[in-house]
Amino acid sequence: MQKDKFFKEIQNKLHPGEKLVSTHCSYCGMQCGMNLRVDTRTNTIIGVEPRYDFPVNLGKMCPKGVTAYQQVNHPDRIKRPLIRRNPAWKGTAEGFEEVSWDEALTFIASRFTELQEAYGKDTLSVYSGVSMTNEKCYLTGKFARVGLQTRYIDYNGRFCMSSAAAGFNRSFGIDRGSTVPWTDIHQTDCLLIAGSNAAECHPTSMFRIWEVQNRGGYLIVVDPRETPLARRADVHLDLRPGTDLALANGLLHLLIENGAIDEAFIHNHTNGFAETKALVEMYTPEVVSEITGIAQEKIIRAAEIYGKAPEAIVMFCRGVEQQSKGTDNVSAYTNLALATGKIGRPKSGVATFTGQGNGQGGREHGQKADQLPGYRKMDNPQHVQEVACAWGIPVAEMPQKGVSAYEMFELMHNKTIRGMYLLCSNPAVSAPNLNYVREALKSLDFMVCSDFYLSESAEYADVVLPTTSWAEDDGTTTNLEGRVIRHRQAQSWYAESRPDWWIQIEIAKRMGRGQYFEHLSGPREIFDELRRVSQGGTADYYGITYEKIEERQGVFWPCRDEQDPGQPHLFLDKTFYHPDGKAKICALPYRPPAEEPDEEYPLRLTTGRVVYHYLSGNQTRRIPFLRDMYPDPLLEVHPDTAQKYGIAHGEKVLLKTRRGEAVYQVKVIAAIRPDTVFVPYHWGKHESINLLTNPALDPYSKMPEFKACAAEIVKLEEEERQHG
Amino acid sequence: MAKQLLYIEMDNCIGCRSCLAACTQCGGHDSRNRNYVMDVDPMQTRQTIPLMCLHCVNPACARSCPAQAIQIADTGAVLSALVEKCIGCQNCTIACPYGIPKFDQEQNLMYKCDLCYDRTKDGIPPMCASVCPTNTLQWLTESELAEKQSAHRLAGGKWIASQSLEPLESETNVKISLPGILQGVQKLF
Repeated sequence: MQKDKFFKEIQNKLHPGEKLVSTHCSYCGMQCGMNLRVDTRTNTIIGVEPRYDFPVNLGKMCPKGVTAYQQVNHPDRIKRPLIRRNPAWKGTAEGFEEVSWDEALTFIASRFTELQEAYGKDTLSVYSGVSMTNEKCYLTGKFARVGLQTRYIDYNGRFCMSSAAAGFNRSFGIDRGSTVPWTDIHQTDCLLIAGSNAAECHPTSMFRIWEVQNRGGYLIVVDPRETPLARRADVHLDLRPGTDLALANGLLHLLIENGAIDEAFIHNHTNGFAETKALVEMYTPEVVSEITGIAQEKIIRAAEIYGKAPEAIVMFCRGVEQQSKGTDNVSAYTNLALATGKIGRPKSGVATFTGQGNGQGGREHGQKADQLPGYRKMDNPQHVQEVACAWGIPVAEMPQKGVSAYEMFELMHNKTIRGMYLLCSNPAVSAPNLNYVREALKSLDFMVCSDFYLSESAEYADVVLPTTSWAEDDGTTTNLEGRVIRHRQAQSWYAESRPDWWIQIEIAKRMGRGQYFEHLSGPREIFDELRRVSQGGTADYYGITYEKIEERQGVFWPCRDEQDPGQPHLFLDKTFYHPDGKAKICALPYRPPAEEPDEEYPLRLTTGRVVYHYLSGNQTRRIPFLRDMYPDPLLEVHPDTAQKYGIAHGEKVLLKTRRGEAVYQVKVIAAIRPDTVFVPYHWGKHESINLLTNPALDPYSKMPEFKACAAEIVKLEEEERQHG
Repeated sequence: MAKQLLYIEMDNCIGCRSCLAACTQCGGHDSRNRNYVMDVDPMQTRQTIPLMCLHCVNPACARSCPAQAIQIADTGAVLSALVEKCIGCQNCTIACPYGIPKFDQEQNLMYKCDLCYDRTKDGIPPMCASVCPTNTLQWLTESELAEKQSAHRLAGGKWIASQSLEPLESETNVKISLPGILQGVQKLF
């Protein structure tokens, strides 16, 4: 077990009549270790106790983590399956009646079968998520392709990690979110963090990030807002949203000019440098400053620091990834590490802050439209053969690859897709261009939603299935380091709720596909199948067992056999995963966001999270402490901009784009660019900022451009302000 | 077990208020949080600072209490009002220079931070310092604290950590570093 400078031997507080169940948080990719306090008489979860010995967070938790346990026995939990027979109520919480599991499952199987008989197998779709275990993510991919036999499966990671995945695959030939374990972060000499508000989105990283500065190292932050992270940065590169690619190219230009590159590393371990060098020639500080709006001195200073740093880690998050060129941004920032050789050794490398709890593992084992377990690809006939064989189906029966999450809504509009099984996601809040997406959900002939609360998306469903919360099931997730960790069941299934794996196996049985699923009696059996099926793939889990995870406080993939200890650091032998063993330095010309400000919409709108809420807010908006701390979305506006529009702090205004509009209360704050406004995305119905966001997709990752579009503020009339 | 104490490094605070959420988890806290996190200048910056009970060596709250309801534990922790003694006069809330004691109107009872006496009496860190994701709140031994104090003393003897009395009202068991701790740090390169 890694014991770093922050580790302290601390005993836990154990109250009489309670036991502690050691597990992890339900929320973000940090997957902080925690103990759940369980009342031994009632066998219910009643609180939380720090887990001081888990090496990533050492007992530390953010406010979401501390209150996460309050989800489990929450009064809003769905207790029994719900059916709504009158589609006129779609889009509301009305008209549901409670039914037995047998009735719900039989109804689902018969409607799915009817639709497939009338319109073909591919009329059904599965829309999934990665806030659930590897076991469930793996089974969901198999359920779609073998159980429902449809090609259309994709998941909410498309709006989260897809650009990082595509960028890493292009640069390295492998997609593991971090090349170093998180315990390296505080030991490096320079952190270059782009498009990440880690203080609010991954707060338990912060004690390590601050430690870099405490040691005399440097923090460079790229963000249009002065976030709580940027507030303490040595250099804050306050760029216009959507201009990262120009900045990354500009930094590489300066690194080359300063002689800060590692010629030997470039020659021995990379391809593409000459072409890239020629491209970045034109990205002088002057040009980059013009595009990004950052002062030239700051760009020059940042390049100087990163170049001089003996060890440095480049980190990024959704700010650079949720753009129509998110994949290029990821590769362009990765170029900096490759050109300087600051990668493939401890304390130096590249990392993305994974958004969802299992955003890493959930994107490796076959929930993606074009991908099969072990990070196998559907356009590789050998990969398809391997998985078909492992699943015991003829190769010809393996469906073709499908389409990305947002593209599935397009297929719902044109009736290619008529049925959907939605689980672990809330696209009626989290997808872009929501007026269009909500219409798509409404247009479905039949929709099933599995959730533990009646989410905004569940309100569009014909059948709602009550699933268990995270603390009621066993399994594994893979955290943002690539460390596979173990979640433990701390209480029995709430009311009549059932785990998603149970639900999928029951549906498969009723669709006549039981033979491929019946042997899977629980998470351990599913994990063992996942291990076998992933064997030989890039994301090889074969050597990972529940016991080994326990012994080692998690195991980093790839882990190829029982003796393999796993790989906390990637590329230590300077070998990358492209066939020639070399990484790729990519020449990526800058292009502006899909929608630039103009006379009609002169402001730049960007979106993100706040520390008190997670994703669509379906969970956190129900937790009293979190709701009280940040009850409603606020529109952040710079004082100069507020003055220009004649609007005051606390005033309600209309914010609009070409796709939609919503009324928000204004928060005037100088810690944002005057040309940019910000709204967090955790709210539903008329408060969703995604009514306004741009669905322009990245050509590789199919990531929508959540982070940059053109907007305008309209002052409300006196009466509207009173009642708006 | 070596004596340990709460140390606050204000510069690290990100305003997540995890300390307040965790406060409710300590046995004997009645699921109510007992401290504060303040926005410093919310229309200018996102800077925040925790405002925790500093557990004064000679606490004004206890001195002001006409019913002797506020006891001081052997650990130095200034405890919450004893239910059977508190008369609800709220003298303590006025006397405290930092505005720490809270008042429950329904129960007619003062309640405040007791430094998680239920945990710290057994040498277990208080909940706030356990969960604080930024190390704004730390639970340190005296030798660890001495290191902090020497590291954060500025040239010219300018005050950083609370080794001297000012600017606090009087000597406190909780030690603090005001914003500015990075000013004295020697850069690596």
